[in-house]
Amino acid sequence: MSDSNNQSTHGMMAEFDSVDSLLAAARRIRDAGYTKIDAYTPFAVHGIDDALGIKPTKLPWITLTGGVIGALTALAMQIWMNSINYPYIISGKPYISLPAFIPVAFELTILFASFGSFFGMLALNRLPRFSNPVFTNPRFDLATDDKFFLYVDAKDARYDGEGVARLLGDSGAASVDPVVEDETPTEVPKIFFTLAGVLAMVAIIPVLVVAMMRVTTSSQPRFHVFYDMDFSPAKDAQQVTTLFADGRVMRPDVPGTVIRSEDGFDIDFQTGVDMEALAAMDPARAEHLVRLVAQAPADEAAPADEAAGDQVADAQAAGGASEPVDNTPWLQDNPLEVDAELLATGQEKFNIYCAVCHGVSGRGTGLVHLRAQRIQSPTWVQPSSLHQDILYANNYADGKLFSVITNGIRKMPGYGAQISASDRWAIVAYVRALQLSQNAEESDVPAGQRAAVAQAE
Amino acid sequence: MAIAATTGLDNTVERPGERAPLVLGNTTYHTITESVSSIAEQPPSKLWVLGFLVSASLASMFGLLIAYLIYNGVGVWGNRDPVFWGWPIVNFVFWVGIGHAGTLISAILFLFRQEWRTSINRAAEAMTIFAVVCAGTFPGIHVGRAWLAYWLAPYPSLNLWMWPQFRSPLLWDVFAVSTYGTVSLLFWYMGMVPDLATFRDRSKNKWRRMAYGILALGWCGSSRHWMRYEKAYALLAALAAPLVLSVHTIVSFDFAVSQVPGWHTTIFPPYFVAGAIFSGFAMVLTLMIPSRSIFKLEHLITVRHLENMCKIILATGSIVGLAYGTEFFIAWYGQVPAEQFAFINRAFGPYWWAYWTMITCNVISPQLFWFKRMRTDPVLIFIVTIFVNIGMWFERFVIVITSLSRDYLPSAWGYFSPTWVDWGMLIGSFGLFFTLFMLFCRFMPIINMAETKATLAHQLRHASHHVTEH
Amino acid sequence: MNIEPENPTLRLPSPVARLAMPMMGVGAVLLLVGVLLGAIFSSVEMRFAMGAYLTAYTYCLTISLGALFFVIIQHLCRAGWSVTVRRVAELLMSVLPVMAVLFLPILATLWIGEGTLYRWDSEEWVAAHHPDWLNPESPQRSKGIYLSDWFFTLRAILYLSIWAGLALYFFRLSRRQDDTAEIRLTERMQAFSGPAVILFSLSVTFAAFDWVMSLEPIWFSTMFGVYIFAGGMLSAICAITVGVYLVQAAGSLRQQVTVEHYHDLAKLIFGFVTFWTYIAFSQYLLIWYGNIPEETFWFGDRQEHGWAIVSLILVFFHWLLPFLALLNRNLRRRPAYVCGWAAYVLLMHFVDIYWLVMPSVTESPTGGVMGVVTTVLCSLGMVGLFIGAVLRAGDGAPLIPVRDPRLQESLAFHNI
Repeated sequence: MSDSNNQSTHGMMAEFDSVDSLLAAARRIRDAGYTKIDAYTPFAVHGIDDALGIKPTKLPWITLTGGVIGALTALAMQIWMNSINYPYIISGKPYISLPAFIPVAFELTILFASFGSFFGMLALNRLPRFSNPVFTNPRFDLATDDKFFLYVDAKDARYDGEGVARLLGDSGAASVDPVVEDETPTEVPKIFFTLAGVLAMVAIIPVLVVAMMRVTTSSQPRFHVFYDMDFSPAKDAQQVTTLFADGRVMRPDVPGTVIRSEDGFDIDFQTGVDMEALAAMDPARAEHLVRLVAQAPADEAAPADEAAGDQVADAQAAGGASEPVDNTPWLQDNPLEVDAELLATGQEKFNIYCAVCHGVSGRGTGLVHLRAQRIQSPTWVQPSSLHQDILYANNYADGKLFSVITNGIRKMPGYGAQISASDRWAIVAYVRALQLSQNAEESDVPAGQRAAVAQAE
Repeated sequence: MAIAATTGLDNTVERPGERAPLVLGNTTYHTITESVSSIAEQPPSKLWVLGFLVSASLASMFGLLIAYLIYNGVGVWGNRDPVFWGWPIVNFVFWVGIGHAGTLISAILFLFRQEWRTSINRAAEAMTIFAVVCAGTFPGIHVGRAWLAYWLAPYPSLNLWMWPQFRSPLLWDVFAVSTYGTVSLLFWYMGMVPDLATFRDRSKNKWRRMAYGILALGWCGSSRHWMRYEKAYALLAALAAPLVLSVHTIVSFDFAVSQVPGWHTTIFPPYFVAGAIFSGFAMVLTLMIPSRSIFKLEHLITVRHLENMCKIILATGSIVGLAYGTEFFIAWYGQVPAEQFAFINRAFGPYWWAYWTMITCNVISPQLFWFKRMRTDPVLIFIVTIFVNIGMWFERFVIVITSLSRDYLPSAWGYFSPTWVDWGMLIGSFGLFFTLFMLFCRFMPIINMAETKATLAHQLRHASHHVTEH
Repeated sequence: MNIEPENPTLRLPSPVARLAMPMMGVGAVLLLVGVLLGAIFSSVEMRFAMGAYLTAYTYCLTISLGALFFVIIQHLCRAGWSVTVRRVAELLMSVLPVMAVLFLPILATLWIGEGTLYRWDSEEWVAAHHPDWLNPESPQRSKGIYLSDWFFTLRAILYLSIWAGLALYFFRLSRRQDDTAEIRLTERMQAFSGPAVILFSLSVTFAAFDWVMSLEPIWFSTMFGVYIFAGGMLSAICAITVGVYLVQAAGSLRQQVTVEHYHDLAKLIFGFVTFWTYIAFSQYLLIWYGNIPEETFWFGDRQEHGWAIVSLILVFFHWLLPFLALLNRNLRRRPAYVCGWAAYVLLMHFVDIYWLVMPSVTESPTGGVMGVVTTVLCSLGMVGLFIGAVLRAGDGAPLIPVRDPRLQESLAFHNI
């Protein structure tokens, strides 16, 4: 080769048979002052970096950057999505619950760092690069098999074709060849573009279908993928069934069921009736009541029974003077000790269960009533005001009030199933306090607080 | 070219102070290239074709069953109240576990400078990816409405503008498994680039050369490239090692953060990881023992490689046994009745057979590897690894099914029975796995040629050192 | 390179070796004073003093056990790189018989005291909180038997004799090889390393349950043994690093232990810092997320009364800081830097053990001025005794296994 050919030669390539001869030659070339040299080997040869004077790579920093970005992305994403944009509490954990965010943060750290090292390596190596002049020599195919190549670039300041070839030959090279310009066409065959175009068009079809579906309307009913999930065969609570003799879907408690939450079982406490006194007066009714409350296996007709207390109270309240006198021995006083704590419980429960109809003040003007008036409901009866003489303690025993809360009266449903007995007694106590509050006189207010009351007025 | 004349040498014997060779026979750089490349270059053997047809038909059955499932709904499975995590989740955890050995062999053994990894790491990594494919399928179809599985992605639903719930361990799993799949794929592919370049350079036919050429990304073996490549490989290994641990840890969180008796126990993360490595190595051996004899690779995948893997199986099997014991002990020590019941129920309840299968296969059968004779006979190893695979499947069965079928409320107890679809999908997933693996064997370099050559170079240098010393 | 056993640069310099007995003496005195403070001052209480003793004891014990495991695992893996640093690990583990003696005061709290340290030891406490443990009819009686003086003592004797036996076995064989150069000894140690790992892991798991976890008699965590192991292994590698560095500073082993070994030790420290974090985080996450009261109270105790600060110290200074510090490869190849961080991690390991033990003994993180004095005296005393015993074992022995068949490999070892 001559110097005039240097325009088209990229450099000089020498072939070696073994690692040791490659390393020796590389050192020799390096010591001769060449800097733009490289080796091509079938595997990573240890010691070659030193022999060629290759500097360490910056790749770890790219990886670290990737990792930091991954961690920050994951944390920011989770905090924003689950704590700011759509905050809701899951299993009692705070909005920003870092321990729960760590697994995803860890995964994304690793993912981004891995992308950093893989794509960082490709970028630093300028890969992929499919057209490379070193590939022009067919012998070079052995660089990925069992031969070792040493290359001196023509751009090296000390490069001169003959001299380099001689130096390489002297260093034990099996053969030395110039690397010439790759003459084969470098453009990608047309078939790849055709294929890519077809693939892209096929890939876009589902997207287009989805997009079209989202913007068009249809008069057809929705396609039910899981029919029995859309139309559940299970019944709702108030529906009728032929499965049971009584026709009710919602099953009553199994006879013998005892309230689990309450230790001990006091029949007076559960009914509001002095049961021993009742037993002396009317043994049949007492037995019936006990059966009902204790859910002992009763007569066959049990489901049809109305609550006994309900019957009496109902008859009495609706009828006026002509009704039989209620001689039930109701408990006159609240069996629980009335203190501030009990009243607070009573107030809380009253405001939850009673106030919607009876109103917070107990005057029968709760939200349900207001709503019924506004829509002019034809069947609505105003809930009773609790501030009537007949409902005051001297006319209406505590036990009776308790029984009404438990079993209901007229259109009012019973709350026995929803409010525990002690809470019902708390409500009774609170109703008494409410009644007192609407009829209080100045003398009822403790001396120390009268001034404050006067000031409020 | 120096020749490693080690034919007929028993390389399982290693005198302290000398390292036994990892590459046997009259092996040169070129014969390594030859023996690995020829697998992909010669027409497939009849055995391969037969195996491929069988696994491909099982894989198609898997596909058909998935279609059947999606069309009919998950009722075709045996999943019933109270066992809603039936076989699909058992299979998922099983396959994810299998998927651990690949990246583990590559990454952790690389970090520990265990040179014997080079002969087996490629196939193991490939196995990882195929196992993750099988694993990923199951939760995907287990969500019920599989066409809405994309809701798991961090994307707000278009109607409610609602995000997926990152406090749910199931979502952690989505991230863990997909990260693991991606990083394993990168690691596998990156490790293959130099070998794909070898395939490219050996190609006689233009199209073949082009196909491998594209995959090889224009690799030319430049030392500068090698230097960055090795750095990137080391970095990926360092990243993949904790990743391997994290994936099965997060799978174990799926169970352990709940309050189900038998699931909520703190040993789960390391115990699941050990179990995963255990089953992964067993599967690697199950695959490599036939492959090395079919493809004539006994001089590269030597008995020493098999023996080392047996030792790891013994170690991890014993860790798993220790974890079983610790769980039992703490269930008694903790004095929580539900917890105590859960463990008694596992061993002596209606699923006692599954429990004792698990103990026999996972704890007892690997103990055979205490004996060197067992560790060095490929046939015996193969049999034991089959048992380990079975045992590890049953471990997941025991964990998922016994705990769910009988938890706190006796009135809600049940008994899980798989349907034919469950069976079909389990078998079908094996079909998919083997199909992918056989395609890999046929078209990709199944042994890391570049690194094996480096190991040989190392071995040759040591040999020459000894010659000069003595 | 001179690797003759008589070579003085392979031995402890005599000024250092002479420190052994004084250190042990001063250590014992400090330890005694520390414990006595508890007996004398009502503001400290015996319970606190014994808690401080247990903390200091567990601290040194875990280092020794970690070193034992390090040695076993090197044999199990037929490791070559580590031979030059293995003797230091062997010295650290060889004091396990001394540690067995130092366990006696803890046994004394059971036999002499009544619930001084372990609450289950007090019949009164058990009768008040867990009467079932005493009831022969109840299935829970078995736990009462498990946590009883005599059974606890029996198990402690078992664990301590396993460890002492393993330590002496590996130490003696390794020492014998210094003289005889028999390759067969290496093979024997390799063959025994498999069963040794099994014995080790079982005994450490259960000792962790018995000695530390049972401080809260009803709390349980299956991972607890792994947690103790992770901390012990980490601190043992740190102790090896610091030990080797100090020996080099005193003039020995300058050629035998190179930057390559420090690099590997630093990688292991980095790895085990991460492993410890992994175990600690998993244990916390599972209990935090499951939110079952009988488990969460243990972490609750460690988040109240000022303990939250100690917990956060562990997060940021036991994990984050050393993790970041050892991330860079070039820094990992600087012996002084690595040794500094190893010493730092050793300190953090003490905080970790303190955090494990003390909240079960006292509400206050410090125990007041006298509490701090007690803790410091006990810890310095125990560490002094420990180092003294290690030096005594190291006096007269070469600091590398001079006739190990893999020594050449280790001397020529080079990180890729």
